[in-house]
Parts: sequence; structure tokens; C-alpha cells
Amino acid sequence: MNQKIIYYPKDGKPTVIANEWQVWDGERDEGGIPDLEHGFHKVLVPFHWWITHHKNADVAGRAGKGEIGVWFAADDDILKHPEIIEEGKSLWPVVGAHFPIFRDGRSFSTAALLRDRFEWQGEVRAIGDVIIDQLLQGARVGFDAFELRPDQNLEIALKQFDLFSVVTQNSWRDQRATIA
Amino acid sequence: MYKYDHIDQTLVDQRVTQFRDQVERRLNGTLAEEEFRPLRLQNGLYHQRHAYMLRVAIPYGLLSAKQLRTLAFIADKYDRGYGHFTTRQNIQFNWVELEQTPDILAELAKVEMHAIQTSGNCIRNITSDAFAGVAADEYVDPRPICELLRQWSTLHPEFAHLPRKFKFAINGAKEDRTVLLCHDVGIELQKNPSINHGELTANIYAGGGMGRTPILGSLIKQNVPWQVLPSYLTALLRVYNRFGRRDNIYKARIKILVKALGPEEFARQVEGEWAQLHNATKQGKDNFTQAEWERVAKHFTKPNYKILSVLSDEQLQSHAQSKLDANEKIAFTRWLERNVKPHQVPGYACVILSLKPHGTAAPGDATSAQMNAIADLADQYSFGELRVTHEQNLVLADVEQAELLNLWRAAKNYNLVLPNIGLLTDLIACPGGDFCSLANAKSLPIAKAIQERFDDLDYLHDLGDISLNISGCINSCGHHHVGNIGVLGVDKDGEEWYQITLGGDQGNDASIGKVIGPSFYANEIPDVMISIINTYVEQRSTDEPFIETYRRLGVIPFKEAAYKNNGKHSKGAAV
Ligand code: HEM
Ligand code: SF4
Repeated sequence: MNQKIIYYPKDGKPTVIANEWQVWDGERDEGGIPDLEHGFHKVLVPFHWWITHHKNADVAGRAGKGEIGVWFAADDDILKHPEIIEEGKSLWPVVGAHFPIFRDGRSFSTAALLRDRFEWQGEVRAIGDVIIDQLLQGARVGFDAFELRPDQNLEIALKQFDLFSVVTQNSWRDQRATIA
Repeated sequence: MYKYDHIDQTLVDQRVTQFRDQVERRLNGTLAEEEFRPLRLQNGLYHQRHAYMLRVAIPYGLLSAKQLRTLAFIADKYDRGYGHFTTRQNIQFNWVELEQTPDILAELAKVEMHAIQTSGNCIRNITSDAFAGVAADEYVDPRPICELLRQWSTLHPEFAHLPRKFKFAINGAKEDRTVLLCHDVGIELQKNPSINHGELTANIYAGGGMGRTPILGSLIKQNVPWQVLPSYLTALLRVYNRFGRRDNIYKARIKILVKALGPEEFARQVEGEWAQLHNATKQGKDNFTQAEWERVAKHFTKPNYKILSVLSDEQLQSHAQSKLDANEKIAFTRWLERNVKPHQVPGYACVILSLKPHGTAAPGDATSAQMNAIADLADQYSFGELRVTHEQNLVLADVEQAELLNLWRAAKNYNLVLPNIGLLTDLIACPGGDFCSLANAKSLPIAKAIQERFDDLDYLHDLGDISLNISGCINSCGHHHVGNIGVLGVDKDGEEWYQITLGGDQGNDASIGKVIGPSFYANEIPDVMISIINTYVEQRSTDEPFIETYRRLGVIPFKEAAYKNNGKHSKGAAV
């Protein structure tokens, strides 16, 4: 995992901040929240795991303290679970959308749906194989946080957001540029 | 023609900067080739057999003389003095250096051109009718919509990494010259008093494509008002982006999704998504506005046409009588017949410059000298504009009839007046094994051999309209599936073979050709062509074009003729 993330709130500036959320891949599932790395107490759990385990006392308790969020796999059809996501709005401080490989654009649509359809106001974080060259698109479809693949250069990453001063289609972040 | 405003210009300039940075990171090793690949593809940069190839977009086929001169300049400075016009209104430079591509893009940006999304798994350059705005059979000029959608699709964030490439075609004429049904999405524009109060609307076809699994698109939605195209297409692409198959590159195109779900179910899912988008944008903030329409459409007004009277073919010919010798007369008459097309405005004509002079390197190639000459011709005879056709030719769209003879003479000096438009030798061919690393077989030598064998123009004119399309592999860049005669390069145990399809057609009766049987060696192909053509000549009824004869008789007589010499040829000998 990356110790730092890029945080880019909708009306703010992109900055590098410490990463507070560990992404759990759901492996070695023993029914409860796994042990987290040293110093971490917040965890993004797989959405499907949440669906089956969120009633467990341990999970519910941790969620109540704001220490649990979920992440959506690229092939999760979030439109199939509208109630759970609606409930999640008041429970999950952060949701993630996963890129199994950077050139798989499904999570772009997931983020767009979260923002447009569910009117999700909280943080939507890009996780997985996230590289510098997909930050611009991600920022526009609805992501406001990026956990880059650890080998990526954060300084170059931050510069990406200044590359374009115009856009030619509406997105979560901005309206298309028009003349006058 | 469309003129960039500061938004378009800023965008292409900034794109150059972005790509320059990506190339730098690639060259200094901080960006791995694996990751650079999709990025460079989205900038039209392929790695071919011998070198990098840059594909430059010519949106809806429209080009200014100034732009063409820049392309000639690029060909000279950064390539080997020529460019290749493709079937999808792009131009390709086959020999560019990675290090120089940002500079090439900067040159292009100076003349309002770019290579954005000409390749890669994103929305590709939108193609349209090469005769848009001038065709006598046009009922809607598609160019404002093409341009609005070009802008909408350019660097679209949500659809930057689709399962596969995504191609739009847009048509607004009676005759379909865009191969609408062979595109991922075909948009058929209409303006009909009985629909939506005569406002511009669109019928949407989805799921067409060639390649390994050729399928014609299905009508999935009718009468979409032009203003809401962004939200409708967003819905459509979103369904594809989420559910298109990513597990198998051969099944990743939208055509496979539409086929698997069935067009009705696919349409229903799009409709469901679209309804939600409507809700999300109650004020319709995604809709194209009238102001945007006007901003764009004002660039597609008619040029300053003169008031002229119409000249009949007889008048044109008699006008030429005194000025031409006997041979020239025949050539000019044939040219009027094949290369000159009717125009909306009295006294004007559209002229197709053939980029298929017999026996040249590759169909669709133009040298920098030719490009510069054509730019001059466009300035002199056609308001400084030209167009690129799906058949890999160029068009001067607004020529005064009275100037046709002068134009013919001038163009003749550059080998651009072969009167073979629509004839067998006006063939479409992909670059094939000579350039393309995906090829199973060469296609250019096959094209050349056929052109050499059918060099007699009298004979070709007598044969009339026949389309011949050649692809070097199943990817179908040469669109062999929709050629009346299609040739496909196939690989058998490391050897180059050629499979023949018959009965494909583009246009309003678009159809996919059928394979006639086992494939042939390269050196058999010219004879096979002759057998097929002879069968047609023997069996046709008066004025019956090849495709009609084929449809009447079916494949059998052609097949028998094609295989009658089977076994007499030996492999190996090059064509
Ligand atoms: C004259 C040059 C070229 C033209 C006109 C062209 C255009 C096209 C077109 C129209 C298709 C049709 C597929 C469809 O609609 O379903 C296609 C397929 C394809 N082309 Fe090209 N292309 C050209 C050169 C190249 C080169 C040089 C490469 C690679 C080095 C390439 C790679 C591909 C691939 C991979 C497909 C497969 C598409 C599929 O099955 O979905 N093309 N191309
Ligand atoms: S059809 Fe095949 S050989 Fe021809 S250009 Fe396309 S990919 Fe290359």
C-alpha cells in the first residue's frame, strides 16, 4: 500500500496527505475485520464482504466509529444494491473503487454513478493499479482521492491536474467550457 | 469549415504538452512501455513492423488546403515523403520517430489538427460522408452534429479506457456513404415534419463492426432529438463500459454485447440508464444548447457560390472538344462519368481525385508533392477545402462545372485523374504485411497485381461498379467483409494465403460477404479475379451491376469458376 494519497476535494486543491485507510482485499477471511498493519485502524473492506458481514457486532461497532468503508470491485454492479449504498452514505466515511489494471475503465463509470445517481457526497477513492496518467480522468468522473501505485512519483502526479484548463464535456467536477 | 475557438486550440496545445511529458517519461524510463502503450495509442501512435506510425484525425473527412500543406510538410520533414489516407478519414505516417512525435503534434496543432483518440480503446475519430454539405442526395448536413460530438468525445474522462475501441459514423444523406452499420454506433440524422416538429433527430444503430465477427448494427432507438445526444450516448457507452467483455479481446467489442443480450435488451438497458441521467440533469445541463449549435453550425454555411447555370454532360464534352486531342477526349469523358459527382448547387460539381493510379505503392498513398499540388488545386478550384473518402480518395467538393477541364488538366500532371472511381481498381486495401505487425499476409502486392491485370480502362468501364476490398488479416482494416469481392490474408502454417468473400456491400443495402471456400496462393488471385469477373460478364443482364448478378445467382457459379483452375498453380512464386 501507499503511505500517502493524493486528496483533491471538489472545490479545493490537490495535496499529498497521509493515508489513513488500509485496503483489505478480503483474503484469509475469518469472518471479522482482519488485523491491520501497525498504526492503522481504518479499513476499506470489499463491498461484497460488507453485504454479508455488516450485521456482525464487531463490524457494526467499528463502522459506528467511522473506521470502516467499502471498496467496489470493477465488476461490482452497484446498481443492484441501491439500499445498501443509501444506508452506507451515513456509515462509510470513504468508499473506494478498484482498478485491477489501470487500463480497465469500469471504475470510472462506478464513480460517475456514485456521484450522479447516488449523489454520494463523501470521499471516493481510486485504489488498485492507479497510475499518474489516469488521475485527470479520475478526478473528473468523481474521484477525490487517489491511492497511487507505490512506484508512482507523487510530484509528477500533482502536476497532472494543471495540464488542462479547458474541458469539452460536463463532468462531476466541471462543466464544459463554452464561449462567453 | 470548422474553425477552432480558443477552447479547442487550448485543448490541443495542452494535449501536446501532456504527450510531450509522457514521451519524456517513457524515454527516461520512468514510464514502462506497457503503461505507455495505451497512452500513445490514444494519441494515434502505433508500433508497426518497422517503425512507429502516427495516425492523424481528419474529423468527418474535412481538410483545408493549409492543413494539407502541413501534412505534406510533416511527410517531408518527419517521414519519407508520403502519407496514407485511410478508410476512416485519418492519415497515417508510417515512419516517424518516437522522439519527434511531440513536435509533429505541435505542427498539427498550429493548423487545428491532432491525433487525439485516433487509436486505443476510446471513442475514435468520428467519420461521416465525404460529400457532407454538397451531396445532391443529402437531407441533413451532418457536420454540425459531427463537430459537436467530436468535442463531446474528445478526452472524455469516463470513456477513456473502454473494453475496446469505439467508432461512430454519422450520415445525413439518402445514400449511406459511411458504412453506418459497420460501426459501433451509427447515427442516422433526419429532419422530418412528422417527427419532433421537423427538428433534427437521430436514429441510433448499435453493435456493428467487422473484424473477426462481422455484424451489422441494429436499430436501437429512433428519433432522438439532437440536443440530448450527449446524455443518450453517455447512457449507451456507460452500459458498454460496465458490461462489455474485458476477459477476451475478441469478445470485447460492443457488437458482442449487443448480440449476447439481443438488441432489444441492450436498448432497454440503455433506456434505463438514460432515464436516470435525465433525472440527474433536470435542467438538461448535458444537452447541447442552441447557442452551441449556432457557434458550430455557422462554420458550415455554404461558401460563396456564384449564380451559374447547369451544364449538361454534352455541353461539358462539347466545350472540351476543341481543346483536346482524341485520346484526351476519351479520358476526359470517362473522368466526367466516373470521377465527377452531382452537387446541390447549380453549375457546381464534386470531383474525386483518384489515389489509386494503377500500380502505385499503396491505395490511398499520396506523396508530399501530390499533397502540395492538391492543396493548390483546392485553393484554385474549390474554396481551399477538400475531403477524404472512405474509399481512400480525395474530393474537391465545390468545383465550377466550367472549370472541370482546367482542373482535369492540372490534376493530370500529378497522376490524380485516373477515371476509376467505383471500378474494380478503385480498391480499398489496408497496409498489410508490408507495414503492419498484425498482418497474416501482404495486401499491397495483391492490390497491385490485380490493378496490373485489370489495367484496361475500356474493360473496367464496361464492368461498371464493383467494390474490391483487401485486408491483410481478420482485423478487417480493408473492410473486406463489405466488398462485393473481398480478399482476406490468412496464415496457414506460416504461409500467406488468401480467402475470397463475395456479396458484401456497403451503402443502403449493406451486407456481409460470404466466404466461397478454401483459400488461394497469392499468385492465383489475379486469375481467380478474372474467373469471377468473367462469370459476371457471361451471366449479367443488361446494365446489371455485379452485386445484383451475384444476388440473383448466388455464390455457386462464381465459386465453380474460381476453383476451376485449382491445383494448376504452384505456390511460392511471388505476385
Ligand atoms: C489503412 C490503414 C488502416 C485502416 C484504414 C484501419 C482501420 C480499421 C478498421 C476500419 C477496422 C475495422 C474493424 C471494425 O470496424 O470492426 C480495423 C480493425 C483493426 N485494426 Fe486497423 N486500420 C489500419 C491500420 C491498422 C494498423 C497499422 C494496425 C496495427 C498495427 C491496426 C490495428 C487494427 C486492429 C487490432 C483491428 C481489430 C479490430 C477488431 O477486431 O475489433 N490497423 N482497423
Ligand atoms: S487488416 Fe490486419 S494487416 Fe491490415 S492493417 Fe489491419 S491489422 Fe494490419
